[in-house]
Amino acid sequence: MTDAPASGPMHPVLPHPDCQDDPALREAQEQRLRAVWKKPTGWRYFSAVNNDTVGVWYILTAFGFFAFAGILALLMRVQLALPDNDFLSMSLYNQLFTMHGTMMMFLFAVPIFEAVSILLLPELLGARDLPFPRLSAFGYWCFAIGGTFVAGSVFFDAAPSSGWFMYPPLTSEPHLTGIGADIWLLGLSFIEVASIAAAVELIVGVLKCRPPGMRLNLMPLYCWYILVVAGMILFAFPPLIAGDLLLEMERAFDWPFFDTTRGGDPILWQHLFWIFGHPEVYIVFLPSIAIIASLVPTFARVPMVGHSWIVLSAVGTAFLSFGLWAHHMYATGLPNISLGFFSAASEAVAIPTGVQIFCFIATLLVGKVKRSVPMLFAMGGIAIFVAGGLTGVMVALPGFDWQAHDSYFIVAHLHFTLIGGVVFPLLAGLYYWFPFQTDKLLSERLGRWAFWLMFVGFNVTFLPMHLTGLLGMPRRVWTYPAELGWDTLNLVSSAGAFVIAAGFALIVLDVFRPKGRQPLAPRNPWGSPGIEWSAAVPGESWGARCVPIVTSRYPLWEQKDLVREIDEGRFYLPDAEEGQREMLVSDILDAEPTQVQRVPGPTYKTLLAAALLGACFIFGTYKLWWLTGLCAAGTVAAIIWWLWTGTSQIPEKPEKAAGRGLTLPLYASGTRSVGWWAMFITMIGDFSAFVGLVFAYFFFWTRHEAFPAADAGRPDLRLLVTGLALILAAWALMELIRRRHAAGGIAWARWGCPLAALLGLAGAAAFAGALWSAGLEPTRHVYDATCWVLVLWLGAHVSVGAIMQLYCAAGSWAGRMTPRYDADLHNVELYWNFMAATALCSFALLGLFPLTAGGP
Amino acid sequence: MKQKTLFEEGSLWPVIAALGIWAAHFLLSYWAAALWCAKAADGSGSLFWVRLAIAVLTLLALAAIAWLARHAVRRYGGRLTFEDDLTEDSAAERARFLGHATLLLCALSAVAVLFDAVPAVVFSTCR
Ligand code: HEM
Ligand SMILES: [Cu+2]
Repeated sequence: MTDAPASGPMHPVLPHPDCQDDPALREAQEQRLRAVWKKPTGWRYFSAVNNDTVGVWYILTAFGFFAFAGILALLMRVQLALPDNDFLSMSLYNQLFTMHGTMMMFLFAVPIFEAVSILLLPELLGARDLPFPRLSAFGYWCFAIGGTFVAGSVFFDAAPSSGWFMYPPLTSEPHLTGIGADIWLLGLSFIEVASIAAAVELIVGVLKCRPPGMRLNLMPLYCWYILVVAGMILFAFPPLIAGDLLLEMERAFDWPFFDTTRGGDPILWQHLFWIFGHPEVYIVFLPSIAIIASLVPTFARVPMVGHSWIVLSAVGTAFLSFGLWAHHMYATGLPNISLGFFSAASEAVAIPTGVQIFCFIATLLVGKVKRSVPMLFAMGGIAIFVAGGLTGVMVALPGFDWQAHDSYFIVAHLHFTLIGGVVFPLLAGLYYWFPFQTDKLLSERLGRWAFWLMFVGFNVTFLPMHLTGLLGMPRRVWTYPAELGWDTLNLVSSAGAFVIAAGFALIVLDVFRPKGRQPLAPRNPWGSPGIEWSAAVPGESWGARCVPIVTSRYPLWEQKDLVREIDEGRFYLPDAEEGQREMLVSDILDAEPTQVQRVPGPTYKTLLAAALLGACFIFGTYKLWWLTGLCAAGTVAAIIWWLWTGTSQIPEKPEKAAGRGLTLPLYASGTRSVGWWAMFITMIGDFSAFVGLVFAYFFFWTRHEAFPAADAGRPDLRLLVTGLALILAAWALMELIRRRHAAGGIAWARWGCPLAALLGLAGAAAFAGALWSAGLEPTRHVYDATCWVLVLWLGAHVSVGAIMQLYCAAGSWAGRMTPRYDADLHNVELYWNFMAATALCSFALLGLFPLTAGGP
Repeated sequence: MKQKTLFEEGSLWPVIAALGIWAAHFLLSYWAAALWCAKAADGSGSLFWVRLAIAVLTLLALAAIAWLARHAVRRYGGRLTFEDDLTEDSAAERARFLGHATLLLCALSAVAVLFDAVPAVVFSTCR
């Protein structure tokens, strides 16, 4: 991944820079830092991009959606409390359980991980901020706008109502489902894009923004989990986005992907959904394990036992969990041997999960555990989760599954794993990190009350549901007759739900109660080993007084004087001489500092871009195509404006002194820059969405006697070859331009980039022409539709690539890109590598594959 | 040159390579069976050729994992330990840490590959 030398000179250049001895100097430095990192106040507050502000917004919003979905659950429980109840209509009940499931999964469980990580990651790394602060603000606004839109639909009787996994054909008929399904598909796609953006940022943060000396073997477990989970998001969400695209194309334009009368197949949705859906379970569960992994050493007062075993388990779980998708599809007639592969992976994944829990228990046994509210929630969560795991094993037995399938037994199992595996650990994290963010402790007494209310309430609600399920009550029914013997159990469950709600209300109360007169929490109140606790109390908005050198896995325990030296600014970047927000970039393996990265400050541009993009999706939902197009153009313009004014700025000098006698460059391009890595990681995610479409093509091929059928049109081969040649020419030209430009050939960028853009667009047009001239009509048959969707994907991506090329040319004309400062060009070149691959795959599917099928 | 940096001592790729092998084995086995049953199987739905293919694949995958494990031991000094925590602040220790993780993941992947081969032993027809 990098080619850093295996050993080399490391950090301690000057052990104790004497200049920092001068208190007046330190005071002046602090003043400058404070000014630079100041959060906007008053009505400009919403232009903030600091990770601690955005992180808090993010967390509050996600918990807001959690509370909303919880209230929906309470309404459902009121309805189910008594037999033959008519508190809710059937249609409303259907909307409520769909919205409850959807919001809990997409608007709470996944975003809350990113929210917490955006807040914590920079501090875990002793960094000032994340590498792309404006990207996290953009992601947040997308999430808030999209989530509000989806959640709001329930007030207009327009919410989706087909269950949180949206199976077609129920959902592909517009007149059967109304606008709700469109809201689900478009609203959630929008939010998924935001999730991917945050994942990219977190991965780059962990890989490139670690403090000097924090080698991979010294990296905290929480960071490993961030890496793993963000990586999973990168591969799991795109297939779902591809599925959303196909389903929405069917609903809006009648492209028959899931329509069996024209060759489509609803099973495709199940594949694409569960390729996402099973990893999703681990995407929501691993972050909670990460929180527990941070608590355990602190409260056991010993280092984690088997640190590297936990790392291995996290990585292993991430991979294996992708091999499970079809275990939700046992009932769809896949060959037995195929199902066998999925069962095998299901069993294999139990190994790493077990290793993690074993290591935690071992650590707790080795150490002397200090009792505290966070530990209470963590242990309660693990207990519930393990119980849920046991019922999971039962459900996995084929005979039993047949009995319990789609009954309340499943509802019970699901909530045991989700509430034990997600909600309780998160609340543990809330109690643990609350003082870190607000400088005040939450009340110990209220915390215990809240825990016991929630724990007892939980069991009263969900334990009886196992029995209700075994007595035959199916899930997703809005009411039931009295004589089946389900009434008492349901009444108990409903009562329990309100006890849980009371416990949660207590926590909300504790969080928001005014704490003006409560004393500040002591510094590092739990005696934790992580550098996030090195911050002074009361905290400052600069993230870190200076970027420390880390030489151990538990710095606050093992590095004496670390906190004092940080306070005195004796490490890197103790000052902001030029009045710019700065952070340190380091190499992936050994975290040797390589660059000082300038990051932009508060802005409304990201809010504008998110609002326009949101409007684009919302107008699309209502099929107002003109407005959709207008907003899409506006989004592109807003993003260009944001990038042009905020990224790859040419610094006023090539290098600066970063402290301790170290001089670092202020600019980097190519693999040394964070931007390049962000592009690379984004494109991996993007490419996996494309792979989802390729999968669809092959899936249809296996489902048909002949695909394409003998009477189907064949895309024109000559035009396809032309298209491929043009796109490859654009790609090759980009390579050449980048090299020539670096050697001083400015004209290459100024004239070559627009030329490459033209070549690429012409190539995409040739691809479209190949289908057009062969008379392929997307509404005729699924073959035609699949070909068109591939070309549509290619065309959209080439267009974006063309915009990037024009952006580079403009940058060169405007003097913001020069042979020395050419990061943009590197990134666009990288993008075009992926375009070449996309074009090659499309060509193979459209042009070569039909040859093997024979035909006219 | 590229080939060399990819696996050079100190790179992150070997850590995920073993699981990559598992993923390839999993997908190829799944595809082989699914495609065979959808396209090629005759009336009896015999899986003979698929099972043979999966057997070969499994041996190949295990061999690749074994090679990787050897690489982890030789080039990274990876060892299978539980007590040793690898917390020293040096590039060599970091390499050992990666070697250790690679080795553990090789073991996990080998087990997972074997698990995936079981269905091919158990089932002999497409139904
Ligand atoms: C606060 C306590 C909660 C209560 C009382 C509750 C109650 C319910 C009820 C009554 C249903 C509908 C069952 C049916 O009619 O089939 C349901 C479904 C569901 N819940 Fe919860 N729930 C709670 C928390 C959660 C949490 C925290 C999550 C996830 C993080 C969650 C995820 C789901 C999902 C995915 C479904 C399935 C929706 C569907 O069938 O499409 N729930 N819950
Ligand atoms: Cu699953």
